[in-house]
Amino acid sequence: MISRSAIGRNAQLALRRQCCAKPTGRRGLAAAASPSTSTRYENEDVAGVKVATRDVAGPTTKLAVVVKAGTRYEPLPGLAFGLERFAFKNTEKRSSLRITRESELLGGQLKAYHTRESLVIEAKFLQQDLPYFAELLGEVVSQTKYTTHEYKEEIMETMALRLHDKHADVSRVALDSAHHVAFHRGLGSALYPTSADVGRYVNEETIAAYASDAYAKSNIAVVANGASQAELSKWVGQFFTSVRASPQTPLSTKATTYYGGEERLAHGAGNSYVVAFPGSSSFTSGASYKPEISVLATLLGGQSTIKWSPGFSLLSKAALSFPGTNIATSHFAYSDAGLLTIQFTGDAVGIRDASAEAIKTLKAIASGSISKEDVTKAVALTKYNALEAAESLDTGLVLTGAGILHSGKPFQIEEVGKSFDSVTADKLKSAAKALLDGKSAVSAVGDLHVLPYAAEIGLNV
Amino acid sequence: MSAPSFANAIIKRPWLYRIMKPIANWYTNAAGYRQMGLRADDLIIEENDTVQKALKRLSPQESYDRVYRIRRAIQLSLSHQILPKEQYTKDEEDIAYLSPIIRQIEAEEKERGDLDSLMITKRSK
Repeated sequence: MISRSAIGRNAQLALRRQCCAKPTGRRGLAAAASPSTSTRYENEDVAGVKVATRDVAGPTTKLAVVVKAGTRYEPLPGLAFGLERFAFKNTEKRSSLRITRESELLGGQLKAYHTRESLVIEAKFLQQDLPYFAELLGEVVSQTKYTTHEYKEEIMETMALRLHDKHADVSRVALDSAHHVAFHRGLGSALYPTSADVGRYVNEETIAAYASDAYAKSNIAVVANGASQAELSKWVGQFFTSVRASPQTPLSTKATTYYGGEERLAHGAGNSYVVAFPGSSSFTSGASYKPEISVLATLLGGQSTIKWSPGFSLLSKAALSFPGTNIATSHFAYSDAGLLTIQFTGDAVGIRDASAEAIKTLKAIASGSISKEDVTKAVALTKYNALEAAESLDTGLVLTGAGILHSGKPFQIEEVGKSFDSVTADKLKSAAKALLDGKSAVSAVGDLHVLPYAAEIGLNV
Repeated sequence: MSAPSFANAIIKRPWLYRIMKPIANWYTNAAGYRQMGLRADDLIIEENDTVQKALKRLSPQESYDRVYRIRRAIQLSLSHQILPKEQYTKDEEDIAYLSPIIRQIEAEEKERGDLDSLMITKRSK
């Protein structure tokens, strides 16, 4: 008699072989549409407009216009937000209703948002519709009418609702406040203005004036994912001709200085506490890029990436004794500065104790007590996160767009990965020490009676 | 709800325009609204959604002036008087400040209607 396990084993092997017998270069439906699967962005200048594209095989395309006009560059608070809200409104050629209905018919999705440095207007659609959406984005950038009635009837109302939503979110308010304390003006300007600022400074005229400064060929980059370089260049060359060559009045691009300090805001909707340190600028910025800061952020961590386990990160282990307190460390990299933030959200008492514990942890790193294994894990995770961000459609597009605009260098995946390999325990130690010796930026939002002052948890501000 | 008008058809034909212009001038004066200090666009019936929306789109100054003219006209009507001659609406003051906005709103509504009843044909490859 043949034993059952023997048959089972053979069957398993046979199955496995069967699946391996497939040709290695096999690809799905996408293969026919576009033969290349490059992860590199190709960039070039088309009639003065910077164009970068990644020809990923697939039936869909994502096209974005990245404009160097985020909150950092706005001359008055709220203009970047207002300009974002005016995207896809009436243009000289067609009404916003027509834009909406036509895009719906083609199955396209339109979106506009802003970050501290960039304003992004993007469209996702089926590959064959590239000419239509290239024309649409070109039109939005150069021919939007900025009418009074649209501002009053549609935009003002949605702006107010959006702001209400944003200002109710304590963790967002705390991060904004930390940026403000750290960088003052420029990078420190609020991502979302207060409604008083909107009333004071934002209207269709100021927005239109900002648009004529922001939407200039020297200030925009067209980034695509899933379109061939030749095709994209052709359509951009055709549809972006009416964009003005240079801004009416160039937006101020003062270099960022780090100040540090403390800000405390009372808020009824929860508690959030942010401890921030000067970080490293983004990868595309070149010399001022310090990979060890990103690794330090991962090492501190706070959020687990593996289910059912607190993870290796030091703060997530520390957070175990403070249930109800959420700790997250992130590193915000901008073109010429960065901010390493440790954010605590949850109940005020938990935050008070957890923040003291976190600073102790950071001091321990600075004194050199890091295990080698943790460093390896942190480097690996940082690398993964950075690569994933570069590879993913959303972040990759914006990173690339911002990279080209600020330094003429797209975000190349391979190079980002390599930079983290050089990080060692010694580098982390000296980085942590430098952070603790320097000034930190601390922001407390919520129950100010309980939330600690920076001096109480042992920080210089 | 802009007032129906043959004006465009007439202006396109210079010979007809030359004939009609004196008649139009006579008619406008005879209509009597200028003697009350009103403009032609003040007479458009406003009790409907389109004109209400158009009125909201007027600038604050235009909106204030309109209300002033209408109140003055009502006052004159009550007291069975007309304005002194130098305060009549002059030809150059009698501009269409509202009807362009009304036409714009009507075009928007028409576009919406057209898009709602759209027929889709598949694109030929």
